[in-house]
Amino acid sequence: MTALRTVITATLHQLFSGRRPILLGLLAVLPPVVTFFVVRGVSEGVALRRFHDVSITLLFILVLPLVALVLGAAALGDERRDTTLTVLVLRPMRRETIVGAKLAAAWIAVTAIVGGAAAASGIVLGVAAGVWEPLVPLVLGIALSALGYVAVFLILGYLTPRAVLIGLIYVFIWENAISFTVDGFAVLSLFRIGITGYAAMVDLAPRFLSDVLGSLDPGMYGAAAKAIGVAVVATMAGAWMLRRRDIA
Amino acid sequence: MTSPAFADAATISVNGVSKWFGQKVAVSDLSCSFGPGLTGLLGPNGAGKTTLLRMVCGLLTPSDGTVEVLGEDPRTTPSVYRDLALVPEEDAVYGYQTAREFVRYCAVLSGHPVSEVDDAIDAVDLGDAADRPIAGFSKGMRQRAKVAAALVGSPRILVLDEPLNGTDPVQRLRLIRIFQELAGAGHTVIVSSHVLAEVERMAGRVLAIVDGKLAAAGDVAAIRRAMTDIPYRVRITSAGPRDLGARLVTDDSVSTVEVDGDTLHVETTDVEALGRAVPRIAADHGFRLTGFEPEDESLESVFRYLVRRR
Repeated sequence: MTALRTVITATLHQLFSGRRPILLGLLAVLPPVVTFFVVRGVSEGVALRRFHDVSITLLFILVLPLVALVLGAAALGDERRDTTLTVLVLRPMRRETIVGAKLAAAWIAVTAIVGGAAAASGIVLGVAAGVWEPLVPLVLGIALSALGYVAVFLILGYLTPRAVLIGLIYVFIWENAISFTVDGFAVLSLFRIGITGYAAMVDLAPRFLSDVLGSLDPGMYGAAAKAIGVAVVATMAGAWMLRRRDIA
Repeated sequence: MTSPAFADAATISVNGVSKWFGQKVAVSDLSCSFGPGLTGLLGPNGAGKTTLLRMVCGLLTPSDGTVEVLGEDPRTTPSVYRDLALVPEEDAVYGYQTAREFVRYCAVLSGHPVSEVDDAIDAVDLGDAADRPIAGFSKGMRQRAKVAAALVGSPRILVLDEPLNGTDPVQRLRLIRIFQELAGAGHTVIVSSHVLAEVERMAGRVLAIVDGKLAAAGDVAAIRRAMTDIPYRVRITSAGPRDLGARLVTDDSVSTVEVDGDTLHVETTDVEALGRAVPRIAADHGFRLTGFEPEDESLESVFRYLVRRR
């Protein structure tokens, strides 16, 4: 447990060092600022619709995948490219512990940044329009999708130094195009994990988010199970790679 | 008699190991073992030393053959890392950490007592810089930080890949003494280095690798003697070297004789026969010998021969 906590702490330090957190922080400021402009001076119903149309879309479809891509790919990938991965693998730790710690640290970092942006957006909505219901579900939904995204990008970052490029293609081609046009693929969409969880907790959300949800049913437990499932599979796959693939 | 490639009471066994990267063969059907004491691993750049050490440490999977550390496969049994530490050639350190934080980090991950951290830092003489970020360290200081991290817990097996790179002469002596003390205490210490004179000074046993294959094993002098197909050079100093040279050149054990002032450079393929012949000829003809020493028993020349022979 001490080793797990130590790796998580060190990874958080690595992820939040340099200019990376500043750039990601600026990106995260976008949703609450946009929320402020779209919900001020309108009725409660209009504010809620605009909040779902603009702010939630911005959070789940743009900010979350980008932040998760940058931090998730860096969590294990940077160790490999900086040749510090040997510091971790030459320890009497299960490989699952190493990958799990990296995943946990990246998830905490992404949830802190994007969840913070989501909380700020919810607070702006609450203050401007008096609607507070989406605040906590939104943060939980972000946390669920963040887990799915980080798990996938963690493995991608380990496998290739071009993870960010490939990840961007995945986000914009798969998540933002194919999963919208082919209804059956929506179930494989990572941002929809959080959206379905969120929609299950906010009364009017399924109506506002019907185009995003498509054929998916809202459900918090299902979303949580799916996010955890993706994380477990990624951890097992990462551990297998640490055991079987060469560490140059 | 046991092959010199295999150590008594082996802690690491390398059995018919090959490793190739695409078309490039880095290590080819190599078998050897390492046991308590200090073993030097030698070879020119690209010979396969680092590849072998990384397979020993479980960082690379052999394409063929097996590696066992304390009877286990390090790839699938992480618990062997309680007893195995590697000082890699590359800068495997975190620039944002101080040396003390780095050594402590490694100790915690290995489950070793953090109370040993300060002693390890002092052992490599890094105490004054221990609380500065590693990012500002010289190459030699980084090396010492890595060595300090490896020393915590006093591992049974210490694998060092070019550990003296970038260190100054005083630090080299200190590190060599540490390695020798560990080896003397029964630890398995493997040192790979291209600084041949230093390996010669510290390692009792040497494995020479050329083109991914084991070219020779044993102590330096034994390796040199085993290479009977290459003439052995001996420097003989004597009063009247020309006359002595003229007598020696008729002996069956002598291949060539060169005279350089009062020194004779004699080549032989049978050094033991030469060792008997020289005193006998000197005594028979009244030559006073003032010196008889091998010219090329240094690792550098052994190594040069090994490379040339292949």
